[in-house]
Formats: sequence, C-alpha cells, structure tokens
Amino acid sequence: MRKWQLLIAAVFLLAALFVPLFGLTDYTLQILFRVFLFAALGLAWNLVGGYAGQLSLGHAAYFGVGAYGLALFSKLGISPWAAVLLGVVLAMICAAMIGSVSFRLRGPYFALCTIAFAEVLRLVAKNLPNVTGGDVGVQVPLLFAHSPVRSFYWSVVLLTAFALGLSAWIERSRFGYYLMAIREDQDTALSVGVNAARCKLWALLISAAITGLGGALYASMFLFIVPDQVLPMEISTEIAIVAMLGGAGTLIGPLVGSVLLESAAEIFKNVFKEANLLIYGVLIIVVVLFMPEGIVGTFTRKLALFKKAPAVPFAAPVPATIEAESERAALNE
Amino acid sequence: MVNWFYIPLQGIINGLLTGALYALIGMGMALIFGVMRIVNFAHGAFLMMGMYATYVVFQATGVSPYYEFPLAGILLFFVGYATYMGLLRPIRGQVDFMVILLTMGLALILTDGAQLVFGADYHQINIPLLSRNIHLGSQISINAPWLVSFAIAMALAGALYWVVTHTMFGRAARAIAQNPYAAPLMGINVNRVQAVAFGIGSAAAGISGALLLPVFYLFPEVGNQFKLKSFVMVVLGGMGSIQGAAIAGLVLGVVESLTSLYWGNEWALAVDFVLFILVLSLKPSGIFGSQRA
Repeated sequence: MRKWQLLIAAVFLLAALFVPLFGLTDYTLQILFRVFLFAALGLAWNLVGGYAGQLSLGHAAYFGVGAYGLALFSKLGISPWAAVLLGVVLAMICAAMIGSVSFRLRGPYFALCTIAFAEVLRLVAKNLPNVTGGDVGVQVPLLFAHSPVRSFYWSVVLLTAFALGLSAWIERSRFGYYLMAIREDQDTALSVGVNAARCKLWALLISAAITGLGGALYASMFLFIVPDQVLPMEISTEIAIVAMLGGAGTLIGPLVGSVLLESAAEIFKNVFKEANLLIYGVLIIVVVLFMPEGIVGTFTRKLALFKKAPAVPFAAPVPATIEAESERAALNE
Repeated sequence: MVNWFYIPLQGIINGLLTGALYALIGMGMALIFGVMRIVNFAHGAFLMMGMYATYVVFQATGVSPYYEFPLAGILLFFVGYATYMGLLRPIRGQVDFMVILLTMGLALILTDGAQLVFGADYHQINIPLLSRNIHLGSQISINAPWLVSFAIAMALAGALYWVVTHTMFGRAARAIAQNPYAAPLMGINVNRVQAVAFGIGSAAAGISGALLLPVFYLFPEVGNQFKLKSFVMVVLGGMGSIQGAAIAGLVLGVVESLTSLYWGNEWALAVDFVLFILVLSLKPSGIFGSQRA
C-alpha cells in the first residue's frame, strides 16, 4: 500500500515536471506553483503536525522569515541565493526558539502558543518600517532571470519531491518511529527512553527549513512582500488545513490535500466569485464530517478492509485461569 | 496639573472599560474550552454575527443596542446550540485537530456569508448617547456608552459566574471540565451540558458583539481580532477557568490601553501576545489557574 502510494506520487511529480512544456499560460503555471508550494509546505508541516502530532498553527512564522530573510539579506548586498540560505538558517533559529518554549506545552496550549509567536512576528514586521518596510512592503530579488515562471514552478515541484522523499525516509527511520511514539503517547514514549523534546525540536527544525525555503521562493516569485501577505494566520491555517484534510500523518496526504484543495479553491474563485470562501468552508466541514482521518487516511482504512486476511488460528486460546482472563481484559483496554 | 498621575489613570480607566467587554468574550471562550477541551475558532465569527444581528435590528427599529443585546444573546445561543448538535457532536471523540478544523471552516462560512449579505463595507451606527461624556473632576472623562457597556458586561459576567458556580448546570459543567470520563458515570448528560455550554459561550460572544456595535466599526472580519484576544485571555486566566478569563480580560484591556498610550496603538496586540507567551513559558497554568498545561 505504502509502496504504491509512493510510486504514484513519484510518477505524479515526475509528470508534473513536464507540464510547463505543453505551452501553458503563465497564469495557469502560477496556480500550479501554488498547488505544489502548499504541497511542500504541507509535507513539511506533516513532520511536526502529522507524525509528531503537534498541532502547529504558526508555520507562517517560518514561511515569512524565509521570505523576509531573502528580501532583507539581499538588501544588505548579499547575493540572492546566499540570502535564501541565510533566510532558511534564520527560519531554523526561529524554530529553535519557538520550539524551546512551545514544545513544553501540550495540546491546545501548544497550538495557541505557535499562533502567538507567528502573530508577534507579523506585528513586529508591520510595526518596524525602518527594518522591514512595514506595510509599504519590501522588494525581493528575482532568483531566476531566465523564464522565471517556469523556473519557479520547477523549483517548487523539486522542493515537493524533496519533502516527500525526506518524509518517506523519516517515516521508516528510528527518528520517525520516535515521533509517532510521541504522537501516540508522549508519557509512554518518555518512559521508554525517547528524548521527546529533542525529537520534536529536530522535526520542527527540518520542517521550518523547508517552509522557509518555500517562503523565499514565494516571495521571489511575487518580487514584493508585505507582512500581511507572508506572515498572516491564514498562511498557517492553510498549511495545516491542506495537510490535515489530505491526511495528517500519512505520507502522501499533504500532496493529495494540496492538489485537491488548492485547485478547488481556484475553481471556486472562478465559479462562485465572492462566495468562494463560503464554499471552501463547506468543503472543509464536509471532509471533516465524512472523512475524519483525512482523505488519504480514510481511504487507506477503507481499502485495508479488502486486504487478504492473515491466517487465523483454528480456535481461540482458552484462558487457563481467572487471573489470565482479567489480565487479558486489562491489555485490551 | 499632575499629568503623570491623571494620564495613566485615564488610560487605566479606559482599559477597564474595554476590558469588561473582553472579559465577557473571554468567559464565553473559557466556558466552551473548559467543558469541551476544544479551541473554538468560530468564536470571533459568532461575535460578528451578534454585531450584524444587532445592526439589522437597529436599522429597522432604531432601538439602541443597549436594549437590544438580549436578542443577540438569544440568537447566538441557538446558533451555538445548533452548531454543537449538528456539527460538533457527530465528531466527538475524533482527534481535536479535526474539531478545530471544523470550527475554522464554520468561521470561514459565517465571515464570507456576512460579506455576501452585507458587503465588505465598514458600518457604524449613531446613537445620541455617543456624544455624552461623564467628567470626573477636571482631568478624567468617561465616554457614556463605554460606561453603559461596562455595567452591562460586568453584570452579565457576574451572572455567568453565578450560573457556573451555583446551578446544577454549572456543577455539571465543572464536573465535565474536571474529568470528562467520570462525569457521565455520575449521571451527567454530557451531550446536553456541552450543547448548552456551547450555546451560552456563543451567546456571550454575541452579546459582546451587540455591546461593541455602538463604539466600534462593523465589518465581516471584525471578529478575528477578538478571537485572537480571547485565546490570550483564556490562556492568561488558566484554560477553562471562567473567573480567570474575566480577570484576564480586564488585565488585557488595561495593558492594551497603557501600551497604546505610551507606545502607540499598533503595538497593543503585539504586547498581548508577548504577555501570552511569557505567561505560557513561565506559568503555563495561567496566572489565575491551578491546572497544569
């Protein structure tokens, strides 16, 4: 099942690389850019929100820091690609700081804390016009001089492929199992020697790096950024929505989520005009009500019903004593 | 004469007047959080609904929002009750991610719906009371509508506190907040209590919206900032503690007012969040809470 998913995703991404050769308009490519950008961001979010089960609603922080990093470092005279790298490093430093405070909290407290950090960054970016340009905005250098729209599209597809490959590797690594153990029961994970704090922080650092890179690509594509564009809560929630509706903690869930939701959002914009967000909200509610494990999660569960059943022992073992029975009942709890 | 005294005093008074409304919003959120353990992202949208409902009635009848606010409360109670019964109850027991996501979807629907019906324009209403100022001494002045809304909000906050501490519903709600597994074993109908709590919490948001209408601009996204502030209050007060949220609301109002006075209005929300992060990292149970995060 997992192999098939990975294969389909790989073929899909490979096919996506050839899409620009079919003479699409720049507008269509920009929409596809957004689809794959959010796929990459969703995959990055999935490391923290999916595998480690930490509902981050502040990923706009890393996205915005990546974007502003590119803009501000290149304003200092650093070459654009070096500025991208510095922006990513800065996003990781932010992640280390945010993580060290927020990972001590659990559940809704964690989610709210990540929102708070992202909002503080947005407000600081808005209120320090001398540094960030404030609401007037700041110019971002173009990373690809030659056929920019295509190049941005390709780079974001490659970023998605990288995030997918990394997720696939992490999912089957010791680190990935640690993360999933933390998600299922942090106290038990701690008791068997998983260093939960360090594992969560590493997951966040990796996630922030990819998100920051995505932010830099996005900023450079638009050439000009303002705080409300790259740091708002809407970016954070959109990343989380894409990943969760696709299937948090599944390998290709965020990719599926992004392809479906971002294209749906685009179609809704054209068909329903002003009511597009309303329909989008209805779509979210419908998916939550009918596919509570996300699209991929629910489908794999349904499909698993039709897997070949493993051989079962002829008769169920009879418990020898009453103690054994109660022990078994306790285990089944 | 002594400006170093009167200017901050005026700031504190203004802060308390705003803070009373925050307190009501925060108490609604805290009630919902305590009983359901979910963060309601539609809280701001409910407030916005209360504001628009009051606006419509005001435009039709001309009755001051200070008499109309019960209508917004009743409307939002049923909206909240129906939301719980129709949307939240079916996914009870799912991961709380999904519940949060659902409330986000609901907020999108309500906000965009308001935009479709009323347009994205800013609205404001004008009542005679707005031009009245009450002077205390020569230095301090209080805008009359703020004083009225302060009185109403504080009375309602007191009433809500009484309901939670002295009625069977309140006792059941606190029992669920303390232990959601043991409460049904004690014969508490968790579904009904949660539905009513969600309704009351939403009604508090709606009433706050009605009280805000005369002194604030009205537009479809108006709820967003109050939603963020209610998160801050609920955490500051200790999650699920409604008296904590009320005090946190007053504190937040004063802090914001003093921030705007000395640093400028644009930093007020940032200071809210910094306060929030500080409290979460130093005392995660909240200033007034006893529960561990």
